[in-house]
This record gives sequence, C-alpha cells and structure tokens, in this order.
Amino acid sequence: MDTSKTPVPAEASQVNAAPGQEERVWRAGGLEPMPIRTLPDAPPSIHILGPTVFLVALGVGMGESYMWPRLVLLFGPEIRWLFLIGVTLQAVVMLEMARYAMATGESIFFGAARVFKPLMWFFFVVAILVYIWPGHLSAGAAALEQITGIPWLVTACIGLVLVGVVFSLAKVIYNLLESLLSILIGTLVVGTAVVAAMVGTWGDVTSTITGMFAFGYLPDQALTAAWFPVIVGSIAFAGPSGMQQMWYTLHLRDSGAGMGSHIPTIRGLRHAGEEEVMPARGFMFDTDNPEEMRKWKGWRRWVTFDAFLLFWGITMLVTVSFTVIAQAAARNTPGVRAVIETGDREVALNAMANSFASAGSSVLGAVFLGFIALIGLNATLGLFDSFSRGQADMSFHFVRGAKKLGMSRLYAAFLWGVIGFGILILLFGPADGPSGILDTLAFLSTFAMGAYCVTLLLVNNRMLPKPIRPKIWTNLIIGFGAVFYLGMLFYSLFAFGVVVG
Amino acid sequence: MRHLTELALPGSLIGVVAGAMAGGLTLLAGQPAGWAAVSALALALALGLLGTGYSMLLGHGLFRPGVFAPAGLYWLAGFPLARLFQETVTGLTIHGQIYLPGGVGGFLAYQAIVSLGFAIGFIWLHERLMPHWLMRLKGNPKARELLATYVVHAESMWTAKERRRAQVRAQRAQSRAQRGAR
Repeated sequence: MDTSKTPVPAEASQVNAAPGQEERVWRAGGLEPMPIRTLPDAPPSIHILGPTVFLVALGVGMGESYMWPRLVLLFGPEIRWLFLIGVTLQAVVMLEMARYAMATGESIFFGAARVFKPLMWFFFVVAILVYIWPGHLSAGAAALEQITGIPWLVTACIGLVLVGVVFSLAKVIYNLLESLLSILIGTLVVGTAVVAAMVGTWGDVTSTITGMFAFGYLPDQALTAAWFPVIVGSIAFAGPSGMQQMWYTLHLRDSGAGMGSHIPTIRGLRHAGEEEVMPARGFMFDTDNPEEMRKWKGWRRWVTFDAFLLFWGITMLVTVSFTVIAQAAARNTPGVRAVIETGDREVALNAMANSFASAGSSVLGAVFLGFIALIGLNATLGLFDSFSRGQADMSFHFVRGAKKLGMSRLYAAFLWGVIGFGILILLFGPADGPSGILDTLAFLSTFAMGAYCVTLLLVNNRMLPKPIRPKIWTNLIIGFGAVFYLGMLFYSLFAFGVVVG
Repeated sequence: MRHLTELALPGSLIGVVAGAMAGGLTLLAGQPAGWAAVSALALALALGLLGTGYSMLLGHGLFRPGVFAPAGLYWLAGFPLARLFQETVTGLTIHGQIYLPGGVGGFLAYQAIVSLGFAIGFIWLHERLMPHWLMRLKGNPKARELLATYVVHAESMWTAKERRRAQVRAQRAQSRAQRGAR
C-alpha cells in the first residue's frame, strides 16, 4: 500500500489508459486504485442552495425543537454551552466528511472499507438496526393528529407509501429531494423566525445566546442518573445525529461536488434503465499540479461556507427560536414547566402548543404542532433517502452480484424494504406509541458518532495524498469528538448504569 | 416599471405568507379574532411590500442571486420596521395606544436579531421560486436578463459536469476499443 506519497504511476493497472500511455492512479488501501482525473472548477464560494440542505433537514429535528428547549427550562440557558460545542463539532465533522467525498467521489463508507472492510460492515449493520424503525415518522404524524384529528397511524402509513412512490417516479432523486427539502426548510425557518419575533423578548434571546458561552456550567442536578443520560442524548441530537453525517458524503457526490462529478447520479426506479454505468471505485486528482490544488482550495471554500453559514447558522437559529418559544410558553402557562420536566415528549409538545392556544384559540397551538409535523416530514424524507442511498452504495460495491442490479434498483429495493418493514411495525409492532420506538435506539446512534470520528481520522490521514490531508488542529478537533461522544456515553453507562435518554 | 413590478411576485408572496402566519400568533395575547385579523394584515402588508422591494431590487441588479450578505442587511433594517408597523397599527386600531415590550430600543434590537433568521429563510425560498417565475415571464426583458444570470451560473455548473463525464465516457470507449483490437 502506498498512501504516503502523492499519486504515483501504477505498475500493473492500465485502467482506461491511452495507447502507449501509462494510467496514473492513486493507491489507497487494498482496494482498486483510483485513476487520476481532472478536478472540475469550484462554484462561487458564496451560495445558498446545495447538498447542505440534506444535512439541515436531517439535523434540525427533535434535538432542536424539543430536547434543548426542555433542558433550558430545566437547568437554565447556561446549559446551552454544550449545544454550542455539539453543533460546532458537527460543522467540523461535516468539513472532514466532505474532504474525502470531494477528493475521491467515494462515500465515507467506501473510505472505511479501504481502511478495514469490517469497519464498513459495522456501519452497514448499525444503519439497519437504528434506522429501520419508523420512529422519526411517528413523531411528526402524532403532531399532525393533534391538528387534524386523523389517527397518526393512518397518516404515518400513507406518508410511508407516498415517500416510496415519489422517490420511485423521480427521474433524478437528488434534484427532486433538494427542491422539496429547500421549500420545507425555508418555510420552517421563516415561520419559526416570525413566531419567535412575536412571542419572545429581548431578555429571552440574550439569555439564550449568552448561555452558550457559560463554558463548564453543570448544575449538581445534571450529574445524576436521572439527567446525565438525557444531557448525553441531547448532545448527540445537537445537529445531525447518528449516521447522518456519513450519508452527507453520498449527497455531496450526487450533487457533483469535487470528484463526485465523475460519478453518475441515482435515478428513480421508473428511470433506472437510463442510469449510466457506475464505476467500481472513485477517482483522484493530481495533487502535484498547482492548478488542480487551486481548484481544490475553491471547493474547500465552497464547503466551508456551507458548514458555517448554512449548516451551523440555520441549526443554531432554529434552536434559538424554539428555545425562545419554550421560554415564552413557560411564562404564559406556568404549568407547562412541570409537564416538560416529566419527560414525556408528546405530552410536553402538546403542553407547549396548548400554552399558546389557551389564550383564546387553537390556531397558535396548531401552528406550533404544524412545525413539529414539518420537522417530522423533513426527517422522514431525508432519512429514507439517506438510508437507502448508504445501504445501496455499500451493497453495490461490496456484495457479490449486486452490480448486476445497478445502483438505482438497489436503492429502490432498500427504500421499499424499509417502507414495508415500517408499515408492518406500525401496524403490528410494539404498541407502546410513537415515543417508545425512537428512544431505545439512542445508544447505537451515539456510539456510531464516536465511531465515525475515529473512521474519519483513519480515512483522511491514511487514504488521501499528503497535500490534501487534514491539518493537525482539525485532527485534534475530530479526535476530541471521538473522546467527547464515546467518553460521555460510557461514563453514563458505567457511572449511572444508564445509556442515553 | 411594469416589467420590474412583474418580477416582484416571489418576494411579495413569501412576505405575505410569512405575515399571515401572524394571524394565529396574536391570539397569544388573548385577543379576539378582530385583533388577529388586523395583526395578520398589518404584518402581511409590511413584509409583502418589503418582499416586493427585494425582488425588484434583484431585478434592478442591486442584489445578486443567491448572495446572502445584501439580503441580510436589507432584512436587518426591514424586518424590525415591519414589526414596528404591525405593533403600531394593531395597538392604535384596537386600544388606541402602542405597547412595545422592552421599549422601542429593546423591541427593535430583538427584532433585528430575529431578522437574520427570517432573511435566511426568505432568500432560501426566494432562490427556489424566482427562476420558475422568471421562466413564465417570456415577454419581459428584465425577467430575461435576470434569468440569464441564473442560467449562466447553472450552465457553468452543468457544462463543467458534462465535460468531465464526456471525458470519462471517451476514455472508457477508447479502452474498450483497445481491448477489442487485441
């Protein structure tokens, strides 16, 4: 294995070489070497639309709308310094995920397989265990039930089938999903801003923001068996949780970012026949060429803008807005604080909605629950697509005979598989309501986050040419991430005998 | 002027819808439907006008498509004023007096902070809706001009992507031909 130098000519492989010319490749791990190709020019760094929409759609979820506002009501705004660390860490993770995906056009799963194939299979299994359950859908559907009166089970089942049909009919799934999520997130951001503007006060927002800088604040009550696991769970849910960052590498590739422009896009089942042939590995650019390195820097600027303005900014904004709304709710209806403290998510969300509605009409409560339903819809669309994308990618490259099916058909198989299983579970599975489904998976989800930090360190430092490897400070932050997630998870386990809440 | 006005629909639509959300929210204060209607109307009018202004300035070339900073500054000034207008109109219509939580300074400062969030959501939606609307305005030279800037950006992305793909296909075909010759 030669991973310590910039791309070298291959001795044996003559992949796509011109007559009489030796194909240049980059050898990374024991898998097929990556042929050297040209890096496309980077788009302008300041932009508004792009693959980050997926990460925002996945990231802005229950953590932002419920878990953190709840912790603020319980422990005060100072507890938010942990949220700041969690989201900032996720922004750096996003940049590092993008490093490998943009340099090679491969997913981080492929990168993990280049380091050690069982590592990739670990993520394959964790994805199935964690994401096959339809909990994310049931949370939004339960909120919709409060508004419309339609039983959540009916909405959830119809929603599942609808998602499958839409993704199967789409010509290019990425384009459809980017448009759809952009409209949904735009509405959510505009809506929460207007709500926060009308119900909040200067005091709410300053205490919420200044609380983010109270580094080290941990009240005694937080360090108990009852609350520490909840805090760990909330940190894991600050921004994208579980494997969502890993799936972002697949969206980056499909959007044509960096060397992803050499890889065909995934099509809906109806258009699977029009799919171009998916290469068996990614590509590398010539890191010895100053012109190529200039373009690479352009791509890094592009993704840095995504990470810090769009991802970090929007996630922070939505959570600040929801915290302000929760503080206003607690002020208007004192009883809501006690309900939120009990920890039943649905009861607490309804209580927050009712505190608005009790003033005169159910309209405001419906608006609040509408946002929760919207968040559920975003998460469902994003998670179903991402799960199917990730599993299809790993199966296509590493399951014998899967290439014959093609990437689009594999995608459809996983999509309809997870939809079918979801409907069965909703109809005949554990009947303990929507909350019960989501909470039990928190341990694996948090563990995967620590594991992908370790994977990132290995992949980016061993599988990429030296000139484009991460700097020492970046490695230190990602290393801190691994210690942070795994350390808190195991401390909770050993000190309190509880995983995460 | 007519041509510029035609461009304004996406911005005004987003502003009006966002403002109409206020209808339900005013009920928080325990006010009857009349209050809610006045409140929604006032904010929808103010945000709708500001949204119209944004789209028109974009058509005029003052803003560039998809660039955040100028839009952020525009709403930093516009959003607090829209909220001030709403509070003033509803306060005077219903009670004959204005009450601003935290005083004028505190109120405007708070609204300015929230405006950044509104600006991100607004521009995000605007960038999605505007190109589709421009494609419908076939006889409008301003729309054609603005659409051209969107198209130039999209084309540069598309051609770069297609060029790379064509290279990959050509290389593959060449390698297949080589194997066939052997």
